[in-house]
Amino acid sequence: MATCKECKSYFPLEENPDKGDCVRRVVDPRQEYYQSKPVNASDDAVKCASFAKK
Amino acid sequence: MAQAALKDTSVEEFETRQQWWWAAEKKRSGRLDYLRKAIWKKGAIGGLYAPGVKVDLERAQLQTRKARELEFSNDAYVIKFARMIAHILDNKTIFITDHAQLAGYTASLPHTIGWDPSCASILNVEVYNDPTAIPEPADESQKIIQEVNAYWGGKTDLDRMMPVFDMEDLMKMLSGSIGWGVPLARGGYSSKDYEYIMTGKRAFQDIIDELDRKIDEGDEMTHAPGATPETTDMYDKLNNWEAMKITLEAGIRIARRYARLARIIAENFEEDPVRREELLKIAETCERVPAHPPRNLQESFQYDIFIQMMSRTEAIEGAWPSRPDFYHGPYYDKDVNIDHTLTKEEALDLVGEFLIRAAEVCQFKPKWTREGLQGIDGTWVWTIGGVDAHGNDACNDLTIALMQAARLVRVANPTLSFRWHPKVKDEVLREIFECNRQGLGYPNMRNDPVLIANTMHWYGHPIEEARLWANQACLSPCPTTKHGYQPMRMANATANCAKIIEYVLTGGYDKVVNMQVGAETGDVTRFKNFEEFFDAWTMQMKTIFSILVRAVNRARTLAPRLTPRPFLSGISERSIESGMDTFEPSLERGNAWITAFTWVENIDSLAAVKKLVFEEKKYTMAQLKEALDANWEGFEQMRLDFVRNAPKWGNDDDYVDDIMIRCLREAAKFSRELKCPSGNSWPILPENVSGNIHYANIVGALPNGRRLGDALYDGGISPGPGLDKKGPTAVLKSCSKIDHITDGRAFLLNQRLSPTQLAGEKGYQLWKAYIRTWADLGIDHIQFNMIDDATLRAAQKEPEQYQEVIVRVAGYSAHFVDISRKTQDNIIQRTIHGLG
Repeated sequence: MATCKECKSYFPLEENPDKGDCVRRVVDPRQEYYQSKPVNASDDAVKCASFAKK
Repeated sequence: MAQAALKDTSVEEFETRQQWWWAAEKKRSGRLDYLRKAIWKKGAIGGLYAPGVKVDLERAQLQTRKARELEFSNDAYVIKFARMIAHILDNKTIFITDHAQLAGYTASLPHTIGWDPSCASILNVEVYNDPTAIPEPADESQKIIQEVNAYWGGKTDLDRMMPVFDMEDLMKMLSGSIGWGVPLARGGYSSKDYEYIMTGKRAFQDIIDELDRKIDEGDEMTHAPGATPETTDMYDKLNNWEAMKITLEAGIRIARRYARLARIIAENFEEDPVRREELLKIAETCERVPAHPPRNLQESFQYDIFIQMMSRTEAIEGAWPSRPDFYHGPYYDKDVNIDHTLTKEEALDLVGEFLIRAAEVCQFKPKWTREGLQGIDGTWVWTIGGVDAHGNDACNDLTIALMQAARLVRVANPTLSFRWHPKVKDEVLREIFECNRQGLGYPNMRNDPVLIANTMHWYGHPIEEARLWANQACLSPCPTTKHGYQPMRMANATANCAKIIEYVLTGGYDKVVNMQVGAETGDVTRFKNFEEFFDAWTMQMKTIFSILVRAVNRARTLAPRLTPRPFLSGISERSIESGMDTFEPSLERGNAWITAFTWVENIDSLAAVKKLVFEEKKYTMAQLKEALDANWEGFEQMRLDFVRNAPKWGNDDDYVDDIMIRCLREAAKFSRELKCPSGNSWPILPENVSGNIHYANIVGALPNGRRLGDALYDGGISPGPGLDKKGPTAVLKSCSKIDHITDGRAFLLNQRLSPTQLAGEKGYQLWKAYIRTWADLGIDHIQFNMIDDATLRAAQKEPEQYQEVIVRVAGYSAHFVDISRKTQDNIIQRTIHGLG
């Protein structure tokens, strides 16, 4: 099972690598930006359309 | 405009054609141009959100999940609520836009609108029923909304408050005929204790340290031998302090999440070394604030954005009380003039971006609110200029930079509101004129000496505090001080005043909503003279105002317990000191007011009745009633008589102007009888936002000749469109008969001036002399539209070519293409005055 930890977008917290941020680049019709959302290293990434293995 | 045409036309050519929006686009920096065009337009158009703008479901889900988790916790409600806020801040998606130097947004993504599901079920139902704003895939989103709504049903603030209101009053308010909001303490206009939090003396970590001391002392006291009423109170205080601390700590954590994101982008994605440095500066900034006081302009702006973002996570704020030049000005001065760490151009980029960051803020609001605030999300009326606590001119270089940046980014929200006083320098006045001449519709002008006296008169604020006022919403000054700031002004004390005169004629029965709303003042056809008619008017006025005020007073009294605001309390000296929630009425002097929508219809109607019915006896009251009952249909000649041959407000005609003064003084007298929970008065404030259009189909035919469906007059004391026949000085003279200190809280006056006449130095000198006359006459407010009819009509025909044309609607500005056709027509109908 793919997990967030294996994804290129996963950036672990230094103080607790089991937790981290999913950081992705987004291009919407008006602007480009980077977004960040807290995730757990072990979160299921099977259904994540943005999953990209490290 | 096609890019080639834009490129081939010079700034000067655009300016000669008065196409200020194209000139601005060519003049602003690449960064500002990108950020300005990156904004998702959030203001509703015709009551609907723009295509692509969607409700943010993430926050609603985060809050609901945490609320479920805490449901059976033994914690006090205020602590549970603080934990919900912290959970949202810790887990929401955040973003940093390319080229941006500032970060922080109320919702999760740039195109989303924040939705707080804990405020009111009637709001949640609107989310469910708004297909245009529900994110794709719709089925999945509907399911989420259903689940969220099912949880909050019966648990929202308003649901919990409803049973404690008087049901009859509540039904009258919710009928939508006399008021414009709900008595909700977490939904309205929050002033803030900027003197405590924005003066660089302290920031969140300092307050947390203070809270720790308070909690330790309180804990010790509750466990020492003895038991007194103070001990009992201390348990509540400990809960409040703990809740404040939870939210402030969460505020520091989310800032550090932004810092971390900026570092991740800089170290892993960004290839441009200049942008990499900017990202590292963002990281450094967000590591510094809000934990610690800002050290430079970027940190100061970022600090403010974080405070606003957190406050809007805690409540739905419909206004943005602010005094940016006063509180950020010292940092501008330090960076630009003393340390030279920023050039003026770099500073202008930051100032412009600060305006843009505010422009994109939006929280989901019900459709009736959106209709009343066409084209914007709320009234972000930022106050600039004025004096300091000692009466010295408070204008600084940032005052000017804000106006210059406003002309470059041309956002409709925030708008600027200038506190004029006799010591204002010519260079500042020129900037104000230039903004107005370039069609922004702002800054509006506020007469500082008058409003300081007014603030002292109505609420007893000491002069040093009264001088520190900022607009709490569109027009009402509120000191940003410990006991002066008002944590929430609820929108439902907004009276649709045209109903006062309508109810005189119907004996209080509302034919639009089919219920008895007003007082039973009897059969109007039996009134023998104007005095009896006026007595009935007074009774209807008192009845409507009382219904609205009773509900606000009730909600405000219960708010500390039922709907607390731990974050807002946490940035308020009086709450830190006392351990009481910011809503506790005994901690403030009070700054309540009744917004009087659709006021002037009363005056023109009373004048028409007095003259044509009671004095000239040209028509009987029965005939008038019959015509009004028929919505003037079949009575067109008679209607025209009431329009043309009755005196109209705004022409320096004592006959009708005396009626205005009499009505205002009756209201002012009654304002003193009405009391807010802090024990202070409820003065009225005539203005409209877009209420004159919203109420067009709710107010019946009136004796001023208006029919059901016709737009109502546009401003608080503005004459009816096209009815001010005697020029701008006559308008000012009529308005000057009002005592702007004691007759009410503030009075909105719209004026249209000719852009052609105001061109060049001569135009400036004419305008300056006009402003001097306005100030000398003691009028508290004036604002201008300086766009000609031809441009506005062209914008109606080819809206895509005029996307950036801004107009002054009422207490706010909006892009002309974003307001309804009816409002557009109403603005065009306003009389264009020539000066001199």
